[in-house]
Amino acid sequence: MKQLNIELADAKTKFRPGETLEGVAFWELADAPRSIEVRLHWRTQGKGTVDLEVVTSVAFNGVGARDRRPFRITLPIGPYSVSGTLVSIVWGVELVSEPKGEAENVEITISPSGEEVRLDRMPPK
Amino acid sequence: MRARDNPFRSDRVLAVRYRLLHGTWEDLFAQLEALGFRAAIVGPQGSGKTTLLEDLKPRLEAGGFSVRELRLDTESPSFEPEFLEDLFATLGSHEVILFDGAEQLKWAEWVRFERRSRAAAGLVITSHRPGLLPTLLETTTTPELLRGLVDQILGDRAAELRPLLPGILERHRGNVRESLRELYDHFAAVAG
Repeated sequence: MKQLNIELADAKTKFRPGETLEGVAFWELADAPRSIEVRLHWRTQGKGTVDLEVVTSVAFNGVGARDRRPFRITLPIGPYSVSGTLVSIVWGVELVSEPKGEAENVEITISPSGEEVRLDRMPPK
Repeated sequence: MRARDNPFRSDRVLAVRYRLLHGTWEDLFAQLEALGFRAAIVGPQGSGKTTLLEDLKPRLEAGGFSVRELRLDTESPSFEPEFLEDLFATLGSHEVILFDGAEQLKWAEWVRFERRSRAAAGLVITSHRPGLLPTLLETTTTPELLRGLVDQILGDRAAELRPLLPGILERHRGNVRESLRELYDHFAAVAG
């Protein structure tokens, strides 16, 4: 088993803006972490500088080395998950423990259709 | 091709670390120590100076030093006076300053910076030109270096690109960073 794990309810990874994301974070570490939290974030990938923003986080208090905690996050309305040839915006839900900085990430998509918006497949105007 | 699938996207390129063309990291660290931890990494744009400076950081920390990282570039070519006052007021004798882009400082600013930095355990800079501090290493690029980086990024898929690499590097006058950006564009043009 991995040390850090995230399970999203119904294994759902495709969301619409403003929807609620639910899941369970569970971990098995050598020692109780100093802090452990779930972070909702997006980052850019592509030709230019990487941008990253943690939109919200859910911290768990009074945890043990081996523990299991549910979480619920209301997703923002944007930016959408999107990909062109120059840049992609990629959303993720990440469980991060300190002090070791261990992390586990689950990628999700946020858009009106639930699918990544493909700029490179849009018809020219 | 989606940007996220491009093998030459910036986060993958930045993950490739500096490759010493000659000698070992131990040799380089010994040379830096012999220079009293005050030295310059000198080379043209896109030749790996910044990457090498970044790669010195964990080695200095493993050697018991703390590290302060400073950076200047053409968009941000000088420090705020308050920043420098705070830096030198809090600088410890166990700290090494890693200063990327030292050539951006005007000469008088550099002279003053260099003098004040002597309170630290060390100062390692990058610069496009020699002469600011004794040169630790001159970063150079070769087609073989670019080929090695492309091999590392692409793995088995690198073979088809190899004939193109010398021309790409020449077109960018030895600038590896720009060469890798051209390879990004090459893959971006691939449908998928």
